[in-house]
Amino acid sequence: MRSNRVGWLMLAPTIAILGVFGIVPFLYVLYVAFHQWNPFGANPYMIYNGANNFRRLVFDNEFLTSIAFTLKFAFFAVLSEVVLGYFLAQLFMKEFPGRGLFRTIHTLPLIVAPIVVGSVWRLMTTPSIGIIPYLLKSWFGYDLNIGRDATMAFALTVIMDIWHWTPLVTLTLLAALVSLPKEPFEQAQIDGANRWQIFWHVTLPMIRPAILATVFIRLMDALRTVDEVWMLTGGGPGAATRYLGLHIWKIVFPKTDYGYGSATSIIVLYLTLVMCWLLYVALVARRGQKRAS
Amino acid sequence: MKHELRMGLAALAVGLMTSVMPAKADFWSDAGAKYKGVTLRGVTESTPPSNYIKDVLAPAFEKATGIKVEIETTSWDQMYDKAIKDMEAKTGIYDMVYIEQDIIYAYLARDFLVDITKSLKDDPSLKAPDYDETRFTTFANYFKNADGDLFGIPMEAFIKLYLYRTDLFNDPAIKEAFKKETGKDLAPAKTHEEYTQIAEFFTKWGKDHNLELWGTTAQAHTGHPASWYEFFESVAPTFGVYNWGIDASKNYSASVADGGTMNSDKAKAALKYWLHLRDIAPPESAASTWTEVGTTFAAGRAAQGMVYGENAAWIASDAEKSKVVGNVGVALPPVEPGVMEDAESGKGYIGYYDGGAFGLPVTSKNKEASLLFLQYIGQDSVQGDWAVAAPRITNTATYDDPKVIEMDKKLNGYYTMLKNDGKLFAGAPPYPFHAQVREATAPIFYRILLGEVSPDDGLDQMAAAAEAELKNLGYRK
Repeated sequence: MRSNRVGWLMLAPTIAILGVFGIVPFLYVLYVAFHQWNPFGANPYMIYNGANNFRRLVFDNEFLTSIAFTLKFAFFAVLSEVVLGYFLAQLFMKEFPGRGLFRTIHTLPLIVAPIVVGSVWRLMTTPSIGIIPYLLKSWFGYDLNIGRDATMAFALTVIMDIWHWTPLVTLTLLAALVSLPKEPFEQAQIDGANRWQIFWHVTLPMIRPAILATVFIRLMDALRTVDEVWMLTGGGPGAATRYLGLHIWKIVFPKTDYGYGSATSIIVLYLTLVMCWLLYVALVARRGQKRAS
Repeated sequence: MKHELRMGLAALAVGLMTSVMPAKADFWSDAGAKYKGVTLRGVTESTPPSNYIKDVLAPAFEKATGIKVEIETTSWDQMYDKAIKDMEAKTGIYDMVYIEQDIIYAYLARDFLVDITKSLKDDPSLKAPDYDETRFTTFANYFKNADGDLFGIPMEAFIKLYLYRTDLFNDPAIKEAFKKETGKDLAPAKTHEEYTQIAEFFTKWGKDHNLELWGTTAQAHTGHPASWYEFFESVAPTFGVYNWGIDASKNYSASVADGGTMNSDKAKAALKYWLHLRDIAPPESAASTWTEVGTTFAAGRAAQGMVYGENAAWIASDAEKSKVVGNVGVALPPVEPGVMEDAESGKGYIGYYDGGAFGLPVTSKNKEASLLFLQYIGQDSVQGDWAVAAPRITNTATYDDPKVIEMDKKLNGYYTMLKNDGKLFAGAPPYPFHAQVREATAPIFYRILLGEVSPDDGLDQMAAAAEAELKNLGYRK
């Protein structure tokens, strides 16, 4: 009983912080989501409107388009980061001259603020003056214009995200690989397993928790990306890169439609949770059930 | 005797001057003494006039009063984001906020701002001797309420004007080639047809001569409201479509069917004209906001263009940033027949009179000290240097400042144009729902720019979207 009290006491600051900065704002957003509230409307005060904001979302083409683009963005970005991050982690497991220096340089993007990443990529990709359009034109005769080419604008946001966040995946997987025991690998080699079999049957199952944690983190980040993309394309051309985070930002801030923006945020949170849960079921729970049976 | 008399008079003059000058200088130190140690915080868009406040006026004010001023200069979007959030949440972080002319109606509707006229009347001890709100140009009227009280100290005011390259327009070989091709003399355009002809000619000229030169600029970003603004505030009015095509007197109608003009034939013609210009402008135009348009012109990549006046001075005079120094001409925008007459009679306007003021949020925790700073930047005595550093004029006396007159020559008469023809331009319409209607219609506008929707269908959709948003906001019944 006494130890329980001490435990709660020790947890109290964390719970208080979580409550003030997490639970209370969430409840407030939930409350606002059931209201019509635009401070620049003819009536600037909150008016209860039931589930109308949520109903409106179902028929909102811009929102549905934004979901589709965001999922596409998250899929390509996270998949590429995990694959590339794994290969880089494997590379850093090996000894080679300059490994420390290369590893340090490779992690530098992580310390750059997203808004700065967006600015730098914008400078590099601005038609006529950016280094990337210049090189593409000189080498391949290709005219890159992210103001007009929706596919290239989308691709560039993915590439920028990969450049920025692959080091995080690399570091996480490197930590997982370093911590693996040697015995299972030696046993597999003795049993005559080839490199692919060792990867599939030994390495992958053992680093699965690390991969899963990394995918969760990156997926959640990718679904709410705002600043980098806002800086690089502003969500354009058209709506090609108006991902959910940016879409919500535009509803809440320039448009000041707080009620509808809150409802959109709640739905996006719900979508994120569902996706993570599905991923968890697909990668962990079902496997656990198979083993049990 | 004469010598003694002269000496005596000189001593008297010096004595009088020294007794008068400190009196004026003392106002700031005396008035500021009460607030010594206070730090005022302001947020504004990073523009040349705002940077001047941050780098020159704020330190000078601090020196005179002991009141510290921190000015945060940021992007246009972020500036609004921060200011509105602060005033909405009543956090009182900012003591001064930049009020662009088009947002003032929304701020006044929400009672976000302090009535400066009334505050100074209520507490005359705060009134600076060199500050007089009657000295502001008529642009200050945009920041007044129905009673004529001022809610923002005008700090920048400029028109979006037609810039052209005098070196190209006066080049004998180019003039001859233009005459041969069009049968006309090469001169700044007065009509849209002439402007298009000149733009097409120079784009072809650049291509034929392997030059990085195009016939016009275009502020045609496909994901930023700058393109929306260029169309509705600079292009559509020159075709006779005013106030974004929304008629407040007709139940805030936008569509022709309901009495608006957003999707009128004139608006459709204007959009097609501008889209054609965009197509023959430099490739970066599709990713250009107002800033990049200035940069494009300064880099010598366009023969003519519509450029915000705030950029005109550095483009014309700063050799470190601009390649076209000494070769910049200014003219009024080209218009359709009848539009100039509309503007002269006050029925319409030919372009955008942009600018902003510094306002004092009611949530500020340092209102008195802020009032001092606002008066400091509103005094006649600081305006001359400010106008030279950044091409903005908000006080009538500034036009006669010798430095400004000198600068006017370098700018080929920009200030004279502002003084004489400023009345032909207008700020944004007096609606409290700017960002809301813009954001409701801009996605369709971007689709038009990408060719996903035709200009005619797109404008029809935009008019419908604007009316739906106005209904949602409660303005349209």
